[in-house]
Amino acid sequence: MKGSGKKLSLERRHNLTGWVFLIPATALIAWMSFYPMIQAFILSLQTGLGINLKFGGLTNYTRILQDATFRQCLFNTIFYLIIQVPVMLILALILASMLNNKHLRFKGLFRTMIFLPCATSLVSYSMIFRSMFANDGLVNTLLRGIGMEPVMWFANAWTARAVIIIALIWRWTGYNMVFYLAGLQNIEYSVYEAAKIDGASPRQSFFKITVPLLKPTILLTAIMSTNGTLQLFDESMNLTNGGPGQATMTLSHYIYNMSFVQSPNFGYSAAMSIIVLIMVAVLAVIQMKVGDER
Amino acid sequence: MKRKVIALLLASTMVLSMTACGGSGGDSGSSSGSTASSEGGGSGDNTLTVWTWDPNFNVYAIEKAAEIYAQDHEGFKVEVTEVLSDDIETNLTTAASAGDYSTLPDIFLMQDNSFQKYVANYPDIFTDLTDSGVDFSQFAEAKVAYSVVDGKNYGVPFDNGAVIAAYRTDYLEQAGFTIDDFTDITWSDFMEKAKVVKEKTGQPILTSQAGSPDLIMEMLQSCGASLFNEDGSVNIVGNDALKECMEIYVQMVEDGTLVEVTDWDQYVASLNNGTVASSINGCWIMASITAQEDQSGKWAITNMPRLERQENATNYSNNGGSSWAISSNCDNPELAMDFLNATFAGSTELYDDLLTAGTGAIATWSPAKESDVYAEPSEFFGGDAVNSKILGFSEQTPSNVTGPFYYDARNAVGTALSAITQQGADMDSEIEKAQDTVEFNMGG
Amino acid sequence: MMSKGKKFFQYAFLTIVSLLSVFPLYYMFCGATNKSTDVVAGRLYPGGYLVENFKSLIANQDLARALFNSFRNAIVLTFLALLICSIAGYGFEIYHDKGKDIVMTILLMAMMIPFAAIMIPLFRMFSTMKLTNTMTAVMLPSLSTPFLIMMFRQSARSFPHDMIEAARMDGLSEIGIFFRMFIPTMKSTYAAAMTITFMNAWNNYLWPKVILKTNESITMPMLVANLLGGYSVDYGMLMLGVFICTVPTAIVFFCLQKSFAEGITGSVK
Repeated sequence: MKGSGKKLSLERRHNLTGWVFLIPATALIAWMSFYPMIQAFILSLQTGLGINLKFGGLTNYTRILQDATFRQCLFNTIFYLIIQVPVMLILALILASMLNNKHLRFKGLFRTMIFLPCATSLVSYSMIFRSMFANDGLVNTLLRGIGMEPVMWFANAWTARAVIIIALIWRWTGYNMVFYLAGLQNIEYSVYEAAKIDGASPRQSFFKITVPLLKPTILLTAIMSTNGTLQLFDESMNLTNGGPGQATMTLSHYIYNMSFVQSPNFGYSAAMSIIVLIMVAVLAVIQMKVGDER
Repeated sequence: MKRKVIALLLASTMVLSMTACGGSGGDSGSSSGSTASSEGGGSGDNTLTVWTWDPNFNVYAIEKAAEIYAQDHEGFKVEVTEVLSDDIETNLTTAASAGDYSTLPDIFLMQDNSFQKYVANYPDIFTDLTDSGVDFSQFAEAKVAYSVVDGKNYGVPFDNGAVIAAYRTDYLEQAGFTIDDFTDITWSDFMEKAKVVKEKTGQPILTSQAGSPDLIMEMLQSCGASLFNEDGSVNIVGNDALKECMEIYVQMVEDGTLVEVTDWDQYVASLNNGTVASSINGCWIMASITAQEDQSGKWAITNMPRLERQENATNYSNNGGSSWAISSNCDNPELAMDFLNATFAGSTELYDDLLTAGTGAIATWSPAKESDVYAEPSEFFGGDAVNSKILGFSEQTPSNVTGPFYYDARNAVGTALSAITQQGADMDSEIEKAQDTVEFNMGG
Repeated sequence: MMSKGKKFFQYAFLTIVSLLSVFPLYYMFCGATNKSTDVVAGRLYPGGYLVENFKSLIANQDLARALFNSFRNAIVLTFLALLICSIAGYGFEIYHDKGKDIVMTILLMAMMIPFAAIMIPLFRMFSTMKLTNTMTAVMLPSLSTPFLIMMFRQSARSFPHDMIEAARMDGLSEIGIFFRMFIPTMKSTYAAAMTITFMNAWNNYLWPKVILKTNESITMPMLVANLLGGYSVDYGMLMLGVFICTVPTAIVFFCLQKSFAEGITGSVK
């Protein structure tokens, strides 16, 4: 087989076919993302406000080191990442495997309802979360009902962060569940039946069958959620507006403010974006190293 | 299965060719001639393109103005694209940064607070209106000042943002007061009376959106103070006016006479649900107040309290409002200038109509006050002629420095304020932090 | 079989999660049927103001056009994106080698930069190509996304290689294998990808708003934003707008969920 010339040429042909298949997508990404990204990098080396820019070398990058707001936002963002991503993914996985049960009734209804949060418009979702966690909102009414002290959710840094994390989990768990549901279809149901016959508990088959076989999908969702959380913007902007103070503001929110709310400093915004990019890239590489063995 | 695949392929090629056509020919849905004019920035000789927002307010106003102008300029038209104020700003930024002004409309509306920032950063967007023939002295002075940079006018003032204090007269009555007890008063007087109102009715006198420095900014302007010095340097640390405002705010929160709510919706709800006795805000808040029709007659409007430690303290201020600008992409700036001059700077008919049509847009153009429509009493506000009253407020409002870093400073003060009221931080150190933040941003 | 208690727990859990998930939709619906001041007051049961809200909505905004544009954009975009990205994901996995793995890693970087950072360069590009105000400009940036490519690459991993070998023996071309074997087999992945892509395309706001400058190109998210723009917001009308904006995605999901969760059907036997 090694020496066979015919086989080799066939492999080369397949290899070439592979390249042809991915050229349209790759070319589009290079054109629509990498080219502007390079421009953003060049921009990050320029200083000045508005269109009065001049070359500043690494000034913007050294500036980041002195920026107290950047540090605060970085802390917030990483905090969200550490808490929210694992909780959400595990919850999504549990829900998906529950809904994958052939004998469960009303599956379609459950699935649709659990998916709905991410289809819900941001406007109404932020409105309702704000009113639910308002000082005399639903959540505090419930707390009073069970004899607990009401909490001023948005007034305290940690409770405000908690609201953001709850909101994120609420919004994106169903979304991730979709990928797991799709991924689960590639596992023959008979594998589960066989495991059951062999006396495996549901918990065992979850850890011994579901998790290992879903690994490629779990990797996908982990990278996606890491990326999404590090670029988190909507919740910070619409739920808390970064407050109290800047206790819940995310990096993307800060970058946006720097470009479009405050006096525009695009060089500095671009430099911060590049830092976010590097952070996500490093985490993604680690995740791929851990989870992408064939 | 095979048939399905073929169908899929067929469909995909169809879609591909469809979009290919769509791509070259522009958006096929909008080829009704309007694209041409909006892209070229008014290629039609008698048509001007406009960006503005809110169909019941600004969009209505500019269309009405065009209608009036067309009476003696045959064939004149405006083509309005509804763009939110934030999006107008984003679009201006994007266009200017890309160096392509061709996408800009002839006329756009801009928030007064953003004017300085955009003129300073992107001067090429604007057309200088100083010699446009508009008589700027007929507008409220503080209003015009927003769109003046280096002595040049860049905006024609439109809607009024004069601060009003709207009180629930039934609550005041319960506490033994009338609206007169709250007119021309000082903040310390206000704070004492607020305690009585709180005691008698159980309601706070004010609500405020947590973390929003709106009220502080209004108080600052009421004595002509600002977060910047005339030379543009930051004036936060050692700014006694700012400190007085913050002290009042923090004290009222402690007294329980000012309750912070989580967001704007809750703020509006507090007015509509009667869980607050007054609102001190830009006069446009009236639209939200009057939405609760069954409270008609229970509200009255007067001026806001004034500061005490400051020399130039008045009972008048401003919050919000916007002005029209003409872009540099306008092919026929003379027409645009003449249009704005003849309408927003010259037509009582227009301003009267804006009131009678219920837009709630109150002029800052003084001659408008003379008309009968402005003198008409408002049933909702206890039979008072509120519109001419508010126009009068705006004439007495002191102007202050906004500057290109207005939002940087405003955000920093908001951050400080919420750290103090919500987390019990020390005022002086928070003020210092705010100054540092703004200076850091300016240092970029 | 599962014990009764466990079964009960499972249903209870799913019911609670579902109710929590669906509550905002209910809230939206109530808002859409109530007067603005009642919405603000937090009324949590349906009212009789739906028709009035609808009347003021269509008087205020061009609802039909927004719906039409949103549907057209989302459908065309979803279709093209799925085609381009699935064939690439397939290529990355089935013909994988070191080179392609490296390309994939590089591509992933494309989704890691905040959009705000590349928006201005992107706008400059389209304005030099004279493509502002076109559908092409709206779609091009999101036709090919690393996320979709990776999704198809990950799921192609479970596509059995012996099926490919068998098809090759039968003389099927490589592209033929993709269209005749891969697409039908991966129906569940396609359905999931379709839902997600449709949803993202439907909800896209910032970029269309920057690149499109005419009233004629209004989409549903823009319409909702317009309802929020004024000094005073009519919350009843807003909630109705928001509700109408949410329903299509929910319907798309409901129609597709069976195919991505009901097991592999037919083709792989």
